Amino acid sequence: MLKGFQNILVKELKELVRDPKILLGMIFVPLIMFPVLGAIMSFAMQSAQEQAEKATLLVVNNDGGNWSEFFIGILSYSVKVSVVNNETAEKALDLLSDYNATQFVEIPSGFSENMTEHIHNPNATACVNFYGVFSGGGMFESISSSLIDNLVYAFNRVVAPDAVHTEKSAIIHGSIERGVDPAVLSGLMISQAIAMPITIMILVSYSMQIAATSVAMEKEEKTLETLLSLPVDRFAILMGKLSGSILVAAVGALTCMIGLNFYVGSFSAIIPADTSLDLVSLGLAPSLFGYLLLGISLFVTLLSALALAVIMSAFAEDVRGAQSLVGFIYPLIFIPSLLLMYLDVNSLPFALRIFLYAIPYCHPLIAAKAVTMGDYLTAVWGIVYVTAFTFVIMYAASRLFATEKILTAKLRFKWLRRRKRKSAE
Amino acid sequence: MNSAIEATNVVKVFGSIHALDGLNFTVKPGEIFGLIGPNGAGKTTALRVVSTLLLPTAGAVKVFGLDVVHKAGEVRKVIAYLPEEAGAYRNLSGWEYLGFMAKFNTKNKGEIHDVVREAAEISGLGERLNDRAKTYSKGMKRRLLVARALMTKPKVAILDEPTSGLDVLHSYHVRGIIKRYVKEQGVSVLLSSHNMLEVEHLCDRVALLNEGVIVAEGKPQELKRKFESENLEEVFAKVVGLA
Repeated sequence: MLKGFQNILVKELKELVRDPKILLGMIFVPLIMFPVLGAIMSFAMQSAQEQAEKATLLVVNNDGGNWSEFFIGILSYSVKVSVVNNETAEKALDLLSDYNATQFVEIPSGFSENMTEHIHNPNATACVNFYGVFSGGGMFESISSSLIDNLVYAFNRVVAPDAVHTEKSAIIHGSIERGVDPAVLSGLMISQAIAMPITIMILVSYSMQIAATSVAMEKEEKTLETLLSLPVDRFAILMGKLSGSILVAAVGALTCMIGLNFYVGSFSAIIPADTSLDLVSLGLAPSLFGYLLLGISLFVTLLSALALAVIMSAFAEDVRGAQSLVGFIYPLIFIPSLLLMYLDVNSLPFALRIFLYAIPYCHPLIAAKAVTMGDYLTAVWGIVYVTAFTFVIMYAASRLFATEKILTAKLRFKWLRRRKRKSAE
Repeated sequence: MNSAIEATNVVKVFGSIHALDGLNFTVKPGEIFGLIGPNGAGKTTALRVVSTLLLPTAGAVKVFGLDVVHKAGEVRKVIAYLPEEAGAYRNLSGWEYLGFMAKFNTKNKGEIHDVVREAAEISGLGERLNDRAKTYSKGMKRRLLVARALMTKPKVAILDEPTSGLDVLHSYHVRGIIKRYVKEQGVSVLLSSHNMLEVEHLCDRVALLNEGVIVAEGKPQELKRKFESENLEEVFAKVVGLA
């Protein structure tokens, strides 16, 4: 054993464990965060599964033969089926909302004929056409597409292997894109679904650290005292600090996006070579206006996060304290980001939806999905809300800088001290 | 103007702690006035109130007739405050730091240049001003900061423990800067220190502060005579009943 090692180790542990900020930030927060993350993951998967199973599957029967009736019967075992007869795919599209469905299967005429042919000639196969609405919701959006695969597989198991195959098409912005498999599309969109939340998580948390460290460093080095005693507008000090942090954060965002682009690009090899999907031509990449809204949303969110970090760091005595305090905000950034990575906000229970909308850091994520799907209003409302929130925080920050509180404010963990005192007694 | 600083019945309360409990003192123009006392006596709080950083709970402080609460902006134009054990921006060079600070007092490029040159001379740091502040020793940093406080020729310089933690040579240099500058520019200085021997040599008048109130005030020689003591340390001990 190293001489003195045990003594130093015990001292280190005492110092670290007795610091309430470390205790809360590094032990309690992760202890709560991981079970919450686990719950989110299982909730996300379950709700996507349930939604896919509960959803009505509209079946357009243009065949009318025995085999189509049998096929519908097999589908009915697993999902709720509504049947309409002799309609075009375009007409069926209009009927989706009437049946509260987001997908339909068309059994084309000649289906029964082809099935009968298959009995004699295994090379002949029948085909059904699947059409699924693509909403850009989340990572589990491909579940509905895989559901039809499972149903056709179940039918083939009963009848004959490879008797029926599926032709898939996606319904994007209310029109049918033939030959575009929603699952492949979803795979392509996953790059966005992952990239945006990760970028925003890194960007917001990193910017908050920069801002908090910047103020705490000034307090620790007492340069803030010097600045406050100078003939300078105190709001200018605040804005100068925030703007500096934003500029550094913007550079960070840029490098982060470039890095992520390479990362996501490495997954394109997974996409089948014969699928020539172009998200821009399908209207699934944000327009210039969409990018503008997304940029504004990200900017106001960053501003609010930075202002909050400045306020929080004002309550810390040193850099370590400021970083620990800012750490308390991280669950509010990470958990919703992960949640929105897997789920569409509109598919969540009302209370959870309101909770997410109330967290400003969710709005760039919500805006990213919304502008991709051409829903600009949601993005605009998010910007309005976050801007209002930012104004409140900025006002609080400016009030803090205008008074002596910026030097004297300290966050005291009275309850922890009381407990310690009691246990000492 | 009869007084550079006039503090009247100043009270400052933090929660249940009375940091200042009816502080009264006057600093005359061109004078070095020392607030001396042990740690926790209220020296830094008093200096922060005069510097407009803290608001007095009661009482009033005026700097050349300007109230530190109602005319805080005007007061900041005529003072320079040096906090105790303050640092400089670690990644700025000495020149950059002085230039940054000078720009708060004037926008004129020529004036900024002159002010920074003046500060460079006061600091005596020479070529080291090209280096980043993080490479400076404690003494060099303090010389830079004292130079910063005096470079704009403020009417009142408020210096909190200007030589605290410095070795003999750097303390000697910093004291020399303050004394010489006051003589040359007619600056009024309010400084605090718990080093009573040092203050004895530097200050024209001193006030002994204990538990937020002034317990004795006068010229060092007068106080020593009055309390039949050899130095201010002894005077303080007698005043607070330790000796």
